[in-house]
Amino acid sequence: MSTTLRKGGRRSPAGHPDAPPRARRRWSAQKLFDDKLLPLLLVAPAVVVIAGLVGYPVIRTAVLSFTDAAGLSALTGGEINFVGLAQYREIIGDPILRRSAIVTVVFGLACVAGTMLVGIAVALLLNRKFHGRGVLAVLVLLPWAIPHVAASYVYKWLFNDQYGILNWALTQLPGVDFTGFAWFNRWYTAFIVIGLVVIWQSFPFVSIALLAGLQTVPSEVIDAAKVDGASAWQQLLLIRLPMLKPLLLVLVVISTIWNFKIFDQVWVLTEGGPARQSEILAISVYREAILQLDFGLGSALAMVLFTILILFTVVYVRMAREEQP
Amino acid sequence: MTTTERPARRDRVRMMTSAQARRRRVTASVFTYLAAGLVALFALFPVYWMVITSLKPTAEIITPQPVWWPSEFEWGRYQRVMDAGFTTYLRNSLLVAVGTTGLGLLVAIFAGYALARFRLPLRRYLVLVVLATQMFPVVVLLIPFFIVMRNLGLLGSLWGLIIAYLAFITPLMIWILRGFFLSIPNELEDAALIDGCTRFGAMWRVIMPLAGPGVAAVSIFAWIAAWNEFLFALTFIRSDSLRTLPVGLTQFAGRDATDNGAIMAASVMFTLPVVIFFLFVHKKLTTGLVAGAVKG
Repeated sequence: MSTTLRKGGRRSPAGHPDAPPRARRRWSAQKLFDDKLLPLLLVAPAVVVIAGLVGYPVIRTAVLSFTDAAGLSALTGGEINFVGLAQYREIIGDPILRRSAIVTVVFGLACVAGTMLVGIAVALLLNRKFHGRGVLAVLVLLPWAIPHVAASYVYKWLFNDQYGILNWALTQLPGVDFTGFAWFNRWYTAFIVIGLVVIWQSFPFVSIALLAGLQTVPSEVIDAAKVDGASAWQQLLLIRLPMLKPLLLVLVVISTIWNFKIFDQVWVLTEGGPARQSEILAISVYREAILQLDFGLGSALAMVLFTILILFTVVYVRMAREEQP
Repeated sequence: MTTTERPARRDRVRMMTSAQARRRRVTASVFTYLAAGLVALFALFPVYWMVITSLKPTAEIITPQPVWWPSEFEWGRYQRVMDAGFTTYLRNSLLVAVGTTGLGLLVAIFAGYALARFRLPLRRYLVLVVLATQMFPVVVLLIPFFIVMRNLGLLGSLWGLIIAYLAFITPLMIWILRGFFLSIPNELEDAALIDGCTRFGAMWRVIMPLAGPGVAAVSIFAWIAAWNEFLFALTFIRSDSLRTLPVGLTQFAGRDATDNGAIMAASVMFTLPVVIFFLFVHKKLTTGLVAGAVKG
């Protein structure tokens, strides 16, 4: 078998004058190789990568979440006990971790909503005709292109309590004094800044994708609506957005996936502080598993985040299904 | 205007005098430009502030009254940042990004082609799994990777990072490339096969040149993802000489917490390569991602 295969394989150069036309040799070794073995060979590395680098770790995390693996000894196969749901019970019982899980959902949803609102608004703006529209469409992409860590440092500087330009600008407003206001000392103002960075970085993708979608809405439909006296709002809510519903749904899913697993921005801006109050699940996993070496608890936290994302995705996919009769 | 004398909407439109219509157009365009200005400010001001801060003389950075344009440009800060270990971080980031992109391409081109062209057993599931990898947080991979790499002694090596990045970058590369291969007509390969090409030959010599733009887009996508990745790099690399740029930046900021000009300069240097690449390929990245998601 192997020899015939190799013979077939060597026959590869195209256009050999004496080579019989490939199409007629239906059952040759070459044909067998092409149809049966080659596809498998081509896919094999991907299967290895996905199974080994994704499948195995996910299962390992799931298993670890039911154990008490902790400390460096656990890494070298030290004593690890199966503890059932104890880690999950600890998450529910621990006010900081419970809060982290809730905050992840609430803050994640807020970021998705903000991203979609800003994204849709900017897309509608860019869909109008005005001078400099093309330039703005490209410039608006910049925030998306900036690495999260770098963007976070810029915002940290913009919101600096002493020399941040935002405090200065707010103080210029009549009757407002933000001099020395420390944004990162309160969890809610810290979340405002984090949310702003997240939205700033994720709205361009939504806008550009939607802009492409908006331009596929046939202008006849809009013209017809105008003749019928539909206001701009009616055109938008009754015609444009419904036609783009599938695309909007996809964008919501993508921003959910992106915004729920943020880590970089929170780490750079607050490291989860003050007093772990701006901690989200990704930060909790890092803190418990990598800094405290509590792998069991960290894994359980990771699985909670995993479950949240799966739940949201399933809901969206259901919604998408119902859209298509 | 009272309700009694309010005519039907359609009539009202017709009744508008040309002067009214013009006033309305002017108001609309004023609002458009106002909105465009606001959007531009929101999107660009942080970028402007990052660049300008990095170029200000130190005395003009920490002022209660903001300095909008520096009295003179201080370029020396960039040189100092380079000398402060930035070059090492840059080298590491380049190595990791190139390694991830190269290996990822090798795997993804073959798999993307096979998934687009052949009837494979379990193909539907494979495609689904590829998609599903996008839906879970990479933190889920963090702990097992940390344990395995520690046991394999890869914690202190850039190879560990490349392997970890492949886990979440390859699936998306496969997905996007599959879309590109699907968009290339089958007939081209059939013709090559009849001319005596092997299947692999047809793929390599006929299809690959056509898939060039797709391969380029996907490479840049992988490159940017590896270049920006922070969580794994923070977790796996312990020695300063092997840090990549994102982590290097945080180290640098921690060390020089007071020198915001230098932190901004380092951020600019970290950002610049991405922005340049990005502006060339953003269309393909957007359409690739959306098309993949819609088709799924």
